Amino acid sequence: MSQDEHPGLTREQLDPFAGKSCGPSRQSRDPIAPSDIRSWIDAIGDTNPIYVDDDASMATGRSSVIAPPAMLQVWSMAGLGGTSKSTTQDPRKELFALLDDAGFTSVVATNCEQEYLGDAVPGDWITTSEVIESVSDVKDTGLGRGHFITTVMSFTASPDPLGDGELIGRQRWRLFRFAPKNRGSGGQAGGDSDRPPRPRPAINRDNAFFFEGTLAGELRIQKCDSCGTLRHPPSPACGACQSFDWSTVAMSGRGTIHSFVVNHHPQVPAFDYPLVVALVDLEEGVRFVAEMPDTDREDVAIGLPVEVRYRKQEDDLVMPHFVLAEGSSQ
Amino acid sequence: MSMLSGKTAIAGIGATEFSKDSGRSELQLAAESVLAALNDAGLTPADVDGLVTYTMEKNPETEVARALGMGNITYFGRVNFGGGAPGAVVLQAAMAVATGVADVVVCYRAFNERSGRRFGAGVQDRGTEPSAENAGYAWYTPHGIVTPAQWAAMTARRYMHDSGATTEALGAVAVAARRHAATNPKAWFYERPITLADHAESRWIAEPLRLLDCCQESDGGQALVIVSAERARDLPQKPAIIKAAAQGIAAPTAMMTAYYGDDIGHLEEMTLVADQLWADAQLSPADIPTAIIYDHFTPYVLMQLESFGFCGRGEAKDFVRDGNVELGGRLPINTHGGQLGEAYIHGMNGVAEGVRQIRGTAVNQVANVENTVVTGGAGVPTSGLILGADG
Amino acid sequence: MTSETSSSSLRPPLQASEVAIDDELPPLEIAIDRTFVIAAAIATRDYQDVHHDHEAAVKRGAPDIFLNILTTTGLVNRFVTDWAGPHARINKTAIRLGMPAHPGDTLTFTGTVTESADGVVTVSIDGTTARGSHASGSVTLSLSAVADSGDQR
Repeated sequence: MSQDEHPGLTREQLDPFAGKSCGPSRQSRDPIAPSDIRSWIDAIGDTNPIYVDDDASMATGRSSVIAPPAMLQVWSMAGLGGTSKSTTQDPRKELFALLDDAGFTSVVATNCEQEYLGDAVPGDWITTSEVIESVSDVKDTGLGRGHFITTVMSFTASPDPLGDGELIGRQRWRLFRFAPKNRGSGGQAGGDSDRPPRPRPAINRDNAFFFEGTLAGELRIQKCDSCGTLRHPPSPACGACQSFDWSTVAMSGRGTIHSFVVNHHPQVPAFDYPLVVALVDLEEGVRFVAEMPDTDREDVAIGLPVEVRYRKQEDDLVMPHFVLAEGSSQ
Repeated sequence: MSMLSGKTAIAGIGATEFSKDSGRSELQLAAESVLAALNDAGLTPADVDGLVTYTMEKNPETEVARALGMGNITYFGRVNFGGGAPGAVVLQAAMAVATGVADVVVCYRAFNERSGRRFGAGVQDRGTEPSAENAGYAWYTPHGIVTPAQWAAMTARRYMHDSGATTEALGAVAVAARRHAATNPKAWFYERPITLADHAESRWIAEPLRLLDCCQESDGGQALVIVSAERARDLPQKPAIIKAAAQGIAAPTAMMTAYYGDDIGHLEEMTLVADQLWADAQLSPADIPTAIIYDHFTPYVLMQLESFGFCGRGEAKDFVRDGNVELGGRLPINTHGGQLGEAYIHGMNGVAEGVRQIRGTAVNQVANVENTVVTGGAGVPTSGLILGADG
Repeated sequence: MTSETSSSSLRPPLQASEVAIDDELPPLEIAIDRTFVIAAAIATRDYQDVHHDHEAAVKRGAPDIFLNILTTTGLVNRFVTDWAGPHARINKTAIRLGMPAHPGDTLTFTGTVTESADGVVTVSIDGTTARGSHASGSVTLSLSAVADSGDQR
C-alpha cells in the first residue's frame, strides 16, 4: 500500500470526534445476579471465593461477595440478537464511514484497559456510557496503515434502577482501523468482514432453480421433460424440441477442465488474485463456469479432473466452485 | 443480399483525434465526427435523412441531429452487441438507402471510453434486476470473470490448446499492429513500435492474455456517410462500394461467452458472416490484398483469419509468421494500426481504414486494393463488410 | 450465599514484605478447547459468531473460533489473584492484544513484579501461545482490599 493511496485523514477531519458521546447511556437489563457470576467464574476457572462466598469475602474485609471486576462490561453487553451497541446517534458510524472512504476498511482491537474504582455487588444495576477519547494521526504498523480510535466506557452501579449510580470503573478500548497490507488478512476482530461483497447473480424465473439448488448443496441443471436434453445456461424452452416443460437434475459435480483463465488485472476487491476460473465439462455432458479459488495457477491444466464445492457467499446465496480432484496433480 | 451488392457506397468518413482524454463531451465527439464525415463526402447536415448507430451508443440521434442542425430524419436504427456492430450499421444504412427509405445515412460511434466509463473495467457492478441479459451474467460475474479480457481469455486458452498457437503467434499480431501504428500519425501508438520480446514480457491481464494482446481504451468518434453508388459517383471522394455486408448469430453464439459449443475456438458466427460476404461479393480470399480484422484481443485475429479462409483451421499461427500480416507481407492487416495501435472506436475506425485503402489514401497504403474485408467484433454476434472500388 | 470456603481456611493476605521486584508469578496454563471458548464467550454475553461458530470464523478469515477479549481480561485477573489471594484488590488491568487464541492452543500466562510500594504492586504479564503473544500488559493491585480508600459501599 503506498502512502499516496492512503494519505490518512487530517486533524481537521478527526478532531471534531474527540470527546463526542457514543449515544445515550445504557442500563443493564437486569440487576447483577449471582447465577451470572457463577457462569462466568465457571467458564474462566476462577476459584477466588470472594465472588461467590459471602463469609469468605467478608473475611477479606469486603461487605459481601462482589462481582468479578473483569465483568465490568459484561453487564451492559446486549446479549443474543442485541443491537444496542450502535445507535443512530453514534458518531462512530460517521467516523467509520469517513475512514472507509479513505480506504481504512479493516478493523482490529489492539488494547483493552480496565480501571476498577469500586465494587459491583449482586443486586446492582449497571449503567454504561461511552465517549470517543481520541483518534490518532495516521500510523504505519505491521498490519498496514491506519488510525487508532480510543473510546472510554464509564460504568456506574446502583442498587436502585432509578437511582444515581456510583462510578465503579472505566474501560479504555482501542481499535486500529486500517488498510491491510495484504488483502484477506483478518485481524482478531475479523478484519476481513469489511471486504466488499462479490457481484451477485441476477436471479429470475429462468435461473432461480439453480441457486435454490446450491442452497441445498446441489448443482442442478435443467433437463427437457420432452426429449431429455440437458441445457446450460438455463432457458425457458428446449432448443432441441421447443418444449417449455422442464425439470432439473442434480449433477455429480465431477468433471474435467475444458478451459480456464487466470485473472490478474483489473482486480475487484471482492476477489483474491491471481484468480483461476475454469470452464468445466461436467461428466453428464454440459459445460459450466466456476472459479477455483483455492487452486494454485501452476497446478491447473486443460483435461484435469475437478469436483464441485460450495461456499456460502451471503445469507441467502451459496455459490459453487471447483477444486482439483484427489490425485489429479500434474 | 445479392440485391444489395454494389448498390450503395461509403462516400464520406470523418473522425475526431483519438486520445486517452478528449477533454470534451461524448456528444461533441459525435457531432464533430459526423460533421467531418459529411464534409469529406461533400454533403451538409441538411442532406442527412438517416442515422444508424450502436445500441451501446450514449449519444441519441435526436441530440446529434439537433447539434448539427439536421432536418427531417426518416430512418434511424441501432445495432446490438457492442463491437460486433461496425459492419452491421453499414448494412442497415445500405438497406435503407437501397430501398429508398433514406438517401443519406450517417453511421456514428463516439465515446470517452478511456477518460469516462472504461469497458476494460468490466461489468462488476451489473445490476440484479431480473432481465434475461442480467441473468446471463449470473454464470460469470459472481465468479470474478467480469471483463472482456477475462471472457476472451477463456476462449483463447482453448483455441491455443487446440491449435497449438503460442504466445509468439499472438505476438505477431500485436507487432504488426504496432508497426502500422508507428507510421500513422493519427494512431495513439504513433512512432512506438514493439518487438515480439516486448509482447512476451508484457504483464498478464488474464492468462493467456498479456497487456499487449489487448486493445486500447480510447476517447474519440468516427462517422461514415452511406449513399447510393450512383450518387457517390457525383461526390468528391472515390466511392468505396459496399459489395457485401452481413451479420451473424450462429447456434452457439453468445455475448463474449460462447463457451458451450462443440468447438469454442471456432467462431461460428464469423464463419457465417464470411460465407455470406464471399457469396454476395462473388470473391474469395485470393482477391483480398489487405484486410481489417477486428483486434480487441490478438487470439481472435488468428481465429478470424481461419473463419474467412485466409488460412486453414488451426493454421493461423503459421500464417501470421515472418511478417506475413505486415506491410509487404502476404496479407497486411490493420494497416492503420488497428485497435491495438490506432484506437479502440468499436471497430468503426477500421471501416474508415477500409475506405481509405479503396480510395488509395491510407498512410500505409497497400498497392492496387480493389477489394478489402472489414470485420466486426469477434466472439460476439457480429458483422462484416467487403468494400471495393467502383467499376 | 452458601459458604463454600470456611473463612478459617482462607489464604492469609499476601504481605508487602513477601513481594519483591522481579518476583515471578507461578505460571498459569490454559488448554483451550472449543467448550472453553464458547462457554466463556456466552458467560461474557458476547454472541459474535467468531467466538462460537466455526464456519463463520473461517468465512471471516480466521482458522477457527477464538477467545473473546473479555475472556482474556478475566483470565489475566484470575492469573494475578491466583497468586495474590482473595484479599487482593485489582485496581487496573491494561493489556495489548496480539494473536488470537484458538481451540487446541495452550495459553500460558507468566508474570513478573515490576513495582511494589505501600502495598500496591504492579505485575507485568504475558499470555502466549505457540502462535506468539496473545496478550501482554500490566496489572496493578492492592494487596489488601481495605488497605486504601477503596470503595466499600
